Amino acid sequence: MTPFAIEVGALAKVFGGLAAVDGVSLSVAAGERRVLIGPNGAGKTTLFHCITGTLKPTRGSVSLFGRDVTRDAEYRRTALGMGRTFQITNVFPELTLLENMTLAIVGTDRRKWVMHRSVGAFAEVRRQALEGLEAVGLAGRAAQPVKLVSYGERRQLELALALNTRPKVLFLDEPCAGLSPSERQRISKMIGALPRDITLVMIEHDMDVALALADRVTVLHQGKVILEGTPEEVRANAEVREVYFGHG
Amino acid sequence: MDRGRLALGLVALAAALALPYVAGPFWTGLATQMLIFGLLALSVDLLLGHAGLFSLTHASFFAVSAYTVAILQVRYAVPTALAAPAGILAGTLLAAVFGISVRTRGVYFILITIALGYVVWGVAHRWSSFTGGDNGVTNVPFPAIGSVGVASHTQYYYLVLAVVILCALGYRVLIRSPFGLGLRGIKASETRMQSLGYRTSAHLYAAFVLSGALASLAGVLYVYYNRFVNPVASSFPISVEAALMAIVGGSGTIIGPFLGAGVVLGLRNWVSSFFEMHHAIMGAVFIATVLWAPDGLVGVAGRLRARFSQPKEPGP
Repeated sequence: MTPFAIEVGALAKVFGGLAAVDGVSLSVAAGERRVLIGPNGAGKTTLFHCITGTLKPTRGSVSLFGRDVTRDAEYRRTALGMGRTFQITNVFPELTLLENMTLAIVGTDRRKWVMHRSVGAFAEVRRQALEGLEAVGLAGRAAQPVKLVSYGERRQLELALALNTRPKVLFLDEPCAGLSPSERQRISKMIGALPRDITLVMIEHDMDVALALADRVTVLHQGKVILEGTPEEVRANAEVREVYFGHG
Repeated sequence: MDRGRLALGLVALAAALALPYVAGPFWTGLATQMLIFGLLALSVDLLLGHAGLFSLTHASFFAVSAYTVAILQVRYAVPTALAAPAGILAGTLLAAVFGISVRTRGVYFILITIALGYVVWGVAHRWSSFTGGDNGVTNVPFPAIGSVGVASHTQYYYLVLAVVILCALGYRVLIRSPFGLGLRGIKASETRMQSLGYRTSAHLYAAFVLSGALASLAGVLYVYYNRFVNPVASSFPISVEAALMAIVGGSGTIIGPFLGAGVVLGLRNWVSSFFEMHHAIMGAVFIATVLWAPDGLVGVAGRLRARFSQPKEPGP
């Protein structure tokens, strides 16, 4: 059988005395769209950080397509096919959108080490960067510094950066956080239109968005998985309604 | 490059070429120092202005290179063609060792580079049998390759000018390359760069060694100008001044560090002729820069240009 795209084994992350993630195991099949939900402080983002290598887990293991990456640094995991976005927009404010995209495109190959040729001489990279911006509706903004574009556009760029590292598995940490309803719809449409060969793991607070996109849903509460199932199963589950919606 | 800047560059080049004939030996000497220390400041600014690392150990590479050249030329009569590259190699190798400091960030990076700088100063100062102690190494000849040699300070000025222009052109390519863009990315968000697949420590290490190599080249130019080297070249104030030259002139630019070197060296020359506490004046200049012109002279020029060239906005 083909290995899972992502397999997390008994993962825990302890800060001081607090177990932010407390023994989470989950398996995401290749091509699957998995959404993580749970109330604030459930450990979703910490779990993401541990899977993508931003944080070192206290215990447990992570594998990517059957390869144990628990000890690999974040940049290695990116090279192996993990891409991610950040809940708090993490782009390069002083650089133009085009330069932001260029960094993403050359980041996973040897061209990032080229010292003797100007960036402008890489016509192929430029074309790809403009295409990438076009795909998220930002082509007209290519030459502007990020600090001059709107918050919503930065969120779109955030997504475009992750997509241009050529990920096999894409981790999206609340891609719609802080957006207006119309921008929210636009981004979730973009995510829905991603090719199915990219495995998707997404944290989402908006239940409607989450349940519409997900093949399967994992519910986290106080650092533990309390339920995993199809969107219908999750919607119907009483315990989830209790912890998540706060009513029965 | 737009026409205005090209014209400005050509005027500056013409002025630089005419300087020894127009202004005489004093100003030519000052201009030579400005170019040499500007190059040192430029090397510091590769880390400071592009990668966001504040190094205070660049006097080490500058001095180790200068000492290597001086000792080889004076004690062992090694010709310039070997001594100068050996100086650059020695300084660069030291930078390859000191590069371990990129494992730290922020204030820890500053502290570790200060400590490393003091190690080199201590060696230069105390290992008298090898370094000449406080007297250093004197009687360094002008550089010569075969029978072609520099015979005067004016000729040496032109040699330094040529080397500096070549370095500035190479530096321009470097900071515009994907590698240079990567450094600016790390300065803006190292976490994002890691998630985009960059091994940021390796990038910073490479930048550190390159920067050390450039500082070493400045050290070679310095020792042939000065004709001697003593522990002052390796001292903490040199490292600090190099960084401040970059900041005063305009960090993150190429011309800035040279302008900054001109301001610092020019002011020191002028003020010290009538005021003993000239260091205090320099301190005031730096404080004023940080408070009111954090982008340095280049930033001030940019703001003035924007103010005067902006078309008047139509009234309501």
